[in-house]
Amino acid sequence: MSDNTPETEEPARGETADPTNDDMLVETDVASATSGPTPGTTPDPIISSRDLDVFYGEERALDSIDIDIPENRVTAIIGPSGCGKSTFLRCINRMNDRIDVCRVDGELTLRGKNVYDPDVDPVALRRRVGMVFQEPNPFPKSIYDNVAYGLEIQDVEGDHDEIVEQSLKRAALWDEVSGRLDESGLALSGGQQQRLCIARAIAPDPEVLLMDEPASALDPVATSQVEDLIEELAEDYTVVIVTHNMQQAARISDKTAVFLTGGELVEFGDTDQIFENPEHDRVEDYITGKFG
Amino acid sequence: MATNTDFDGFGRVSRTAGTLFRYLLLAATLFGLVFVTILLVYVANDAIQPLTADPGWHLTFLLTLVLPTLAASAYAYRRGVEALRTGVFTIGFVVVAAMFSGGAAMIFVDIVEPLTWLAFLLALAVPTAVTALVVSYDHRVSFAAQFVVTVAVFYLSLFGVPGPLGSLAGVPSLAPGLFGFVAGLPYAPAPWLMLAATFGPPAAYVGSRFVAADRDRRAHVLVGAAVFAFVVLGGALAPFAGVDRVPGVVVTAVGLVPPLVYAAGTAANRPTERVGLLVPAAVVVGSLVGAVAVDAVGFAGPQSWVDWQFLTNAHSSTAADAGFYPAVGGSILLMVTVAVLAFPVGIGAAVYLEEYAPDNRFTRVIDVNISNLAGVPSVVYGLLGLGLFVTYLDQPPGTVLLGGATLGLLILPIVIISAREAIRAVPEETRAASYGMGATKWQTVKNVVLPRSFSGILTGTILALGRAIGETAPLIMIGAPNVKYSLPTALSEAVSAMPLQVYAWSSLYASEDFYQKAVPAGVVVLVAILLAMNSIAIVLRNKYQSTE
Repeated sequence: MSDNTPETEEPARGETADPTNDDMLVETDVASATSGPTPGTTPDPIISSRDLDVFYGEERALDSIDIDIPENRVTAIIGPSGCGKSTFLRCINRMNDRIDVCRVDGELTLRGKNVYDPDVDPVALRRRVGMVFQEPNPFPKSIYDNVAYGLEIQDVEGDHDEIVEQSLKRAALWDEVSGRLDESGLALSGGQQQRLCIARAIAPDPEVLLMDEPASALDPVATSQVEDLIEELAEDYTVVIVTHNMQQAARISDKTAVFLTGGELVEFGDTDQIFENPEHDRVEDYITGKFG
Repeated sequence: MATNTDFDGFGRVSRTAGTLFRYLLLAATLFGLVFVTILLVYVANDAIQPLTADPGWHLTFLLTLVLPTLAASAYAYRRGVEALRTGVFTIGFVVVAAMFSGGAAMIFVDIVEPLTWLAFLLALAVPTAVTALVVSYDHRVSFAAQFVVTVAVFYLSLFGVPGPLGSLAGVPSLAPGLFGFVAGLPYAPAPWLMLAATFGPPAAYVGSRFVAADRDRRAHVLVGAAVFAFVVLGGALAPFAGVDRVPGVVVTAVGLVPPLVYAAGTAANRPTERVGLLVPAAVVVGSLVGAVAVDAVGFAGPQSWVDWQFLTNAHSSTAADAGFYPAVGGSILLMVTVAVLAFPVGIGAAVYLEEYAPDNRFTRVIDVNISNLAGVPSVVYGLLGLGLFVTYLDQPPGTVLLGGATLGLLILPIVIISAREAIRAVPEETRAASYGMGATKWQTVKNVVLPRSFSGILTGTILALGRAIGETAPLIMIGAPNVKYSLPTALSEAVSAMPLQVYAWSSLYASEDFYQKAVPAGVVVLVAILLAMNSIAIVLRNKYQSTE
């Protein structure tokens, strides 16, 4: 871990029950929504990595990644299996901490603060960075309790009923479940479950939404619903999505990062440019389906 | 073969050895089962003696009970397997609930004063409410403050000012706790009313949850009120059925309400399974009609040794008068003590090992040794109980507390192992979802892992309890009396248990009658209680698996 990051104005997130936490989140969001970036220009990066290496034991999973992920955009990470794209995603909210043999070197900053600094509480970090997983994984609780989970554990102020309704509406699920919020989340179909998980992730209003192949376990109809949803969410959230479906990346993302075998970030740029005119031959080969 | 030029078909490959092996395995599977079943049939025959009844008695019940039940089952089966399953389940439910209500009634008739029970419940309920109020009043009350308030209100409520801490310091008691205050009230309502007040609301809640449709508030209230009234009526009308009011209330709330609520809920909410309720109806109506008919005509029933007298009397030197009551009650008390002592410790250890423990040499050593502990002979645990509690701590031998603690130690490894398995069965994705939402480990365990694994943990621990009530050797070692003539009324009194009583009858009083009648009767009761407990575990497990 690198400790020589210059100190920034970003206050360290200390204990989890910081009552001012939520207020600051709201302010940040309002600020970014009003003075937000105009389309076309690349806004300031919200997540940056410098020289980021990840090892699983002796095995290198990521090889000095440098990337700047812009705010309020959809950034897609594509690449063949085992190229480290999920590993990179899990570095952002430090879900890799849960794996004993995993070791991270280098620097990964969220709004200028290195998330691997020793004073960063990974639990507090994950409250600012929501995550949606590959398999829909609702809790065996009611639909309402699933969405309200983050609100409960993070002690979010405000009318929880209202926030749950808003989150379900934003996840385009409200019309289907509004009459049966007491039913188990597991009773929903796969696509509905995944949208429920998205509603759950956005309910506490995180700054960044990480999605790890969110549509790979879904049928085509559910996939297109989730894709539409992601594009809408990018108006308010920074979305980082891992996918192995290149058409999906081309459809929904503004920026695309191509990881190739060995955990290297080979190319990163505007999605149009990556898919129409990639700089590297290896990327072109991958995109045109010559390998991977 | 390559040399075989004239090819006709593919030929045959011999499976003789495989077939032989398969049937040997089948024999091995059934071996124990068949022999234990034969033994139990013999024992049950000795205990119940069905052949001593008049042929007319058998014929009557065949006509009123067996044939209608078979007909109802066949009809339900034709309408759907689910319906028949519901019907059979309801019968089992009725039987198990009846046995449980018997045990509960025993506790309130002979062991716990209803006023003490009420005082204890109040002394727990009031501080719980205070704590909930403090927490919900402001989410930001710090954990330390919450903890202090919780401990303080519970202490005050249970022990008063200054309580045992004060008496240690020599300060006289200034004010009694809520428990002491209520328990010492000079005027108290009738015992059965206190029981109705404590058993009625939970029964009403369960009833309204199960019978009324989800969002119908009126139906909830109506059903709840009906169930509550039913419990009160059960107490009020009990004397007309020849039962005291206290057991009347308990049997109504624990034995009658749950199956009735289940049946009513099925009838109201599950149209496809409604037909299955004909089966339990046939059983109940058939037995009643049969009993009345047999009584009217005067056919003699079997001279069963498992009868009311056997279940409610204490041991006697003549086999015909000997009863099992103190042994059954003692076993129930032991089970409650074991559950209270072993479950929190066992589940706590399981949660630690699964969720918190790092993977290092120390935890691996613990791991292996817990498995080893599960294999230590029970007599060794008895020796441990004797040495630790009686010799070292100078406790009186053979008490409820001592027996419960020893049996609790005995089943602790089993509880830990089964609880760990249940916790391990919680999918990793579910945990990841919780951590991904920014939950701490404690929040994840509390909100996701434990609720999800609860029924699995319960299943394992019930099976472990079954092991505990069948144990004899540890109880002998700690000096539990073979024969007791009354139920213990305090944790510090000596206790006997079912297996001990059976052992006493078969060894110390081994006359012909004891050996051939009382022992089988005792075994039948013991096995019936064990099977009832295990059936609960199995039902829980099936429910758990079907919700996966």
